[in-house]
Amino acid sequence: MKTVECQDLTKRYFRKPVLKQLSFSLEEMKITGLIGRNGAGKTTLLKMIAGFIKETSGELKVFSQRPFNSLNVSANTIFVDDQMSFPPAMQLYELLEVSSKFYPNWDMDLAQGLFDYFSFDPKNYHKRLSKGKKSTFNALVGIASRAPLTIFDEPTTGMDTAVRKDFYRALLKDYLAYPRTIILSSHHLEEIEDLLEDILLLNDGRVKLHMPMEDFKEWAIALKGPADLVLALAKERELIFKNNLGTNSVYAVMKNDFVQDELMQAKAKGIEISSVQPSDLCVYLTSSAKAKEGIDHVFAQR
Amino acid sequence: MVAIIFNTDGTKPIYIQIAEWLETEIMNGHFKADEKVYSQYQLAEMYTINPATAAKGLNLLADENILYKKRGLGMFVTANAKEKIINKRKNQTLKGLIEDVVLEAKRLQISKEELVGMIKEIEIWEGDQ
Repeated sequence: MKTVECQDLTKRYFRKPVLKQLSFSLEEMKITGLIGRNGAGKTTLLKMIAGFIKETSGELKVFSQRPFNSLNVSANTIFVDDQMSFPPAMQLYELLEVSSKFYPNWDMDLAQGLFDYFSFDPKNYHKRLSKGKKSTFNALVGIASRAPLTIFDEPTTGMDTAVRKDFYRALLKDYLAYPRTIILSSHHLEEIEDLLEDILLLNDGRVKLHMPMEDFKEWAIALKGPADLVLALAKERELIFKNNLGTNSVYAVMKNDFVQDELMQAKAKGIEISSVQPSDLCVYLTSSAKAKEGIDHVFAQR
Repeated sequence: MVAIIFNTDGTKPIYIQIAEWLETEIMNGHFKADEKVYSQYQLAEMYTINPATAAKGLNLLADENILYKKRGLGMFVTANAKEKIINKRKNQTLKGLIEDVVLEAKRLQISKEELVGMIKEIEIWEGDQ
């Protein structure tokens, strides 16, 4: 079963295209990480999936329905970000009570447990919370709602390291107990990569990659060594990133379609072989053509 | 698969770490033949990882006949799991490490005899005898 499906999905703001003919689908009960640079279109996509904004063209289906103006999609979806709005006159404990009426799967025990753990004051107001505390409260609502489609758009903005860790662990534990479809967007892939089953990488309004996270971790390989040797190997492959080290050494990241023997030979010739951190790989894959050689390129031209 | 043995940056993929940890648990007798090991969900909880990643670690051991699946019940330790683990570690892990050592020795122009001498000098051998 697919929870989200889209075909040639396009969104323009005042004629400026933000999302360009996206086609992909998200399977139910999976945790998918939505990754992309600033302005890649992540938030626009998530808001469209949640039914907050209308597509310009193409087709989008969530639970087999067009999400915009759909009560069914709204009832089964929660969208968590740092701008979540709650009734300003209500105290925090009242917000929990209202939430329990809004979301049929709401778990009040869990909500209370997290509320106490993160030491919220029941009589406080949402608008008086600090940035990090606001995010924590929103994330709490996101977990406790147990919505069949749970969307977190940069949920950890402002949270300190300890809270971020706790949040991810709480999310995973509750997911293991109550599987649901989760979309998680973040700039910090290294923080969420272990949690993800799939990765969806957006670049400049298009889908750059969509694959299981485990495959992505081995999708590319880094070779470091004498430039002529490394570049000869890179020639036959998709070169993703290159950085010159000294005058005749090079670090090159390329698609990993080597067979074991080739790597053995490369290693014997003095080439160092290593895996590529998924977060680094995302940066390389979403760099503009100019930036392919890294920030050093700017300095080299002066 | 290829990248595993060649991982020189010291960080092994988590599913490998899980497989190796389970191997160690089998080696030191924590799990005996025909006993059930942790499920993908238990491992996911223990390591704070996606259950799909944990499943990959379990499947790796199943592919190597160190574990076997009982449909609907989970993963169990095979009768000769210990032997398989020792063989694998000897023929892959240890061999790989030795290859690295030999390569480095070549780079430093150390002779075979000298290298063997260095290995013999390592003190932990003494304790074994």
